[in-house]
Parts: sequence; C-alpha cells; structure tokens
Amino acid sequence: MPSRKRREQADAPAEEAAGARVRPLWSGTITFGLVSIPVDLVTAVRPRQTALKLVDKSGHALGREYHCSKEDKKLDQDELVRGYENDAGKMVVITDEEFESVAPEMSGDIELRNFVPLEQIPPIYFQRPYFLAPAGKTAKAYYLLTATMEKTGRVGIGSFVMRDHEYLVAIIADHGVLRADTLRYADEIRTPETLGLGKRGKVAASKVKQFAKAIDDLTRTQLDLAELEDQDAQALKKLADTKQKDDEDVVHPRGLEDEDAEAGNAQIIDLMEVLRKSLSKSAVVTTAGSGAPISLAEKRKEKKSGAKRQRAS
Amino acid sequence: MARAIWKGQLELGRQKLAVKLYSAVEDRTIHFHLLHAKDLAPVEQHIVRKDNREEVKREDIRKAIALSRQTAVILQPDDLAKLVPAESRDIEITRFVSPAVLGDQWFERPYYVGPDGDASSYFALAAALERKQVIGIARWVMRKKRYVGALSSVDGFLTMTTLRRADQVLSFSGVKPSKAIVPAASELKLAQQLVSSIEADFDPSLWQNEYRARLCKLIEAKARGEKIKSVRPRKKAAPASLADSLRASIAAVKEKKVA
Repeated sequence: MPSRKRREQADAPAEEAAGARVRPLWSGTITFGLVSIPVDLVTAVRPRQTALKLVDKSGHALGREYHCSKEDKKLDQDELVRGYENDAGKMVVITDEEFESVAPEMSGDIELRNFVPLEQIPPIYFQRPYFLAPAGKTAKAYYLLTATMEKTGRVGIGSFVMRDHEYLVAIIADHGVLRADTLRYADEIRTPETLGLGKRGKVAASKVKQFAKAIDDLTRTQLDLAELEDQDAQALKKLADTKQKDDEDVVHPRGLEDEDAEAGNAQIIDLMEVLRKSLSKSAVVTTAGSGAPISLAEKRKEKKSGAKRQRAS
Repeated sequence: MARAIWKGQLELGRQKLAVKLYSAVEDRTIHFHLLHAKDLAPVEQHIVRKDNREEVKREDIRKAIALSRQTAVILQPDDLAKLVPAESRDIEITRFVSPAVLGDQWFERPYYVGPDGDASSYFALAAALERKQVIGIARWVMRKKRYVGALSSVDGFLTMTTLRRADQVLSFSGVKPSKAIVPAASELKLAQQLVSSIEADFDPSLWQNEYRARLCKLIEAKARGEKIKSVRPRKKAAPASLADSLRASIAAVKEKKVA
C-alpha cells in the first residue's frame, strides 16, 4: 500500500506537477564522519512505455476513488487511516504522527558507516536505483565524496527512512554523479538451503566440460542492447499505430496524465538542470537503449504552458 | 519450504536443462489496511469518470494507450489477447558476458533456479559458470509476460535476476566539475584517509531493519492499549569547513578504534 504522503503527491494538480520544480522523493543529508552533504533523491529508473490508462467504452478517462464500505460515500485523503490487523483479529490504527515518530532520527540522514568494494555486493541484494542531486549552496562536498569513492573504488553503505520504510542503501559514484541504490536486508533474501534446492554432490567433470564448451560458444565481449529492448512496448506501439491509421477506437479523453510517470520524468530533467548549474555545464543523461541524451526542451515547453507555482531559481 | 513458482528449460545452444524457479525474496513488509477514520470500516476502490465522477461498471472499463496528452487508442479485449506472447517453457540464453558489463541499475528481481530432476547436470552448469566467470543473458515468457534476465552462479547454485529494459536504465556522461567545486589535493587526501578508516567488507548480516522492528513494537504496544510517547528529532550541529570536518572525523574514528 502506498503511504499517505505518496498518494497526496500523486493527487496534486497536473499543472503543478509539470510546471514547478518537481518535489524530490526524499530530501536529506548524507553524512560520513562529520561531513554532511545535503541531497535530493530522485528516481533513476524510467517507467516502461507499457502503462495503459483506464477509460470507459466511449473513451472518457477514468480515475480511482476510495469509498467507505459501510457508508458508501467518497472519502478524502484526510478521512483515511492505516490499520494493522493482528493475529488476534484486532485492528490496530497507526496514525501518520505515529509513523513519523517511529524513527525520527533516521528520516533525515543517510549515515555512511562503511565503505565496501562494490563488487562484493551480490546482484540479489539490489532493489532500486535513485540519483542524488546536490541540494546545498555548493556542490563541493558532494563532488568530494564522488571523487573519493571513484578513486578508492568503494561505495558507502548506510540506511535511511523514506515514506515509512527503512532502506539499506549503497551510495555509489557513477560517472561523477552520486547514485543511491536501495538494497534488500539479509532477512528478505532466501537461501538455497531454506528452499531445499538440494546438496551439491559429486559433479561429473565431463558434464562440466560440456557446459563450459556451450558457454564458450556463446560468450561475447559486449551486451547486445537489442536483446534488452522492451518488446512488449514495441508490440503495443505497433498495434496502437495500426489502429490509429485505420481510425479505429481513437479517442480524445481529458485528464489522461499519468502523474507518477510524469513526475518521474520531470525529476530526471530537474536533476540534469541542477547538475548543470552546480556541478558541470556539460552533464548529459542518456538511456542505455537509444544512447540519445534526454532533452531539456520537453520540460521547458511544459513550464511555459502550465507553470503556476514556479519557484525562482 | 517455499514452492517453485514456475518450471522451464534452460537452453544454451544445444545444451538443455530442466529447472524450477523460486522467488529469492521473502516479503517482510508490514501490510496495512486503508480504513475510514470515523468508523474504521475498510475502504473500497471505485472506478469513476474523471470529468463527472460517475461510477463506471466493471464490464464497461477498457484499457487505452496514450499516443499524446489528448489522444489515445482503446484496446479491446481481442487486441489485448493478441499482445500476449506465445506460451513457452524455454529460457533462451542468448549470450554470456563478463558480469562487469551489466551495471546494478539493471537488476530488478532475483530468483533462485533449482534443478527439476537432473541434479548432477544442474550443479555441473553452476560449476561451469563459476569457472568461466560469466553471466548469461536470458529471455523467456512466464505467465503470459516476457522477461529478460541474468543467469549467474552464486555459491554453487544458479540464480536468475530479471533485468530492467534498455530504455529504463539511465546514465550520466560529460560530468566535468567546474573549477569552483574541484577539491584541493589536501581535501581529497583527507577524504581518502577517512574512507579507508571505515573500510570494511560487505556484510549484510550487520544491518537490521530497525524501523520495521520498532514499528512492530509500536503495533504490539498499541494493541495492548498502551499510550505512545512521541519522540522529537535531534538538533543538528552547525556545519564547519570541509577540511576541518574531515580532520575531526578522522580523529574521531581513531579514538573509537583505540577505545
């Protein structure tokens, strides 16, 4: 279930999401030793182009509402609470203030307690990557940490609380920019033993050799990015194009915006603007797929058309 | 013991191996119900028209793909059926590469791959992958969805981590810092000293989800009817200069090690 803050953000008016500086997912401070670096956390994953919108038969855009199951009336955000049903069947209500009071000292800081070699973290631990944008008056300390981690080949490990969840996190220097990759906790990872995958007995050398030969035949020096393209999105686009050409089921709904996806894209473009101002004029962000830089123009266009609460920058 | 979620067949060229997939992740999230504050009744989700807020019946709901902000194409049930990929049990390995070519931003969700019958071949493949120090790029269709993944060997067992798609993964280039923020050589040296003073091996067992544990306690206390005290966040000290902070930090770490 999304936390309350998240839902409020998603429900914000569309022009605010498109026009003003986008709200980061989290703002806080990275600390290592007594050095503190103010940062804003934004997504580092672009949404897939396969998200479908809900419409009715004649093409009106649809949305979701929460209703009370007893009273059958529409509920506003401030009429909702979260409840935990315990084993005895008792519903325990936890208020937003109580969620916030669980670990107030962990919601503003990512304290880097260890620096470890990146290659020691098994792939199984990685959950989701985010970018960190420098948020203070100067990006000096931000860049110092980046340069130091790049020099030493190490990444910082810490933990923090965002939206009523605690995350273990690896702070990684990636081409001059800091990334925060959330990691799973050890108790969230199963083991071959608990799954009962069996015991490694004697392995026939001839079989290993057979597989090793098959591996050699298929080993290449590079990825082929075409293999990692989104085939679902491509099939969907093709079908939509055909239907549009045939003028079949084409509709013009109002209010189609996908607030989450647009906020995500706007966060990335904001980040690039911040980096260009504070760190490096030549910073460019690209997707692994096309290799083409993401354009700043798309954001500017939106700003012109719908800026309501644009902050002076 | 968790059950397998899917059965399939790994294909490396002409070599084939029957396997089972198991989720490698145990969900430990504390799940909450959304309730109406006044009467604590659970909420229901209604689908309504955005323009007039009228409720729409389930059978009248369609999915559409947006072509622009104003234009969309409705996908009828038979269109959606056409988009479902052909069913198959094959997990095709398209190539093997060095693990270094795949950054961690690609990794989405991990699975264990277990043997389905022929255990000796299974452990032989894991051993061969370990010897060659490579990972396999895989693609397959599971439960009507396409996946791409990375097959690797971990401690003698096989894992498959699903990968994000190429247009989801972002990276920066051209970040050459402006003069104003380039650190002085002395600052860089101090920072490296500080990093090496808290260098360690990655040990996930040292980290516990403290928030989750405290939230559990809070729920238990509230269930017993105890009053909950709210805690105030600490105040922060005023920031010193970068070099001073670095020096003080190194001194603090040294002191800790002595004590």
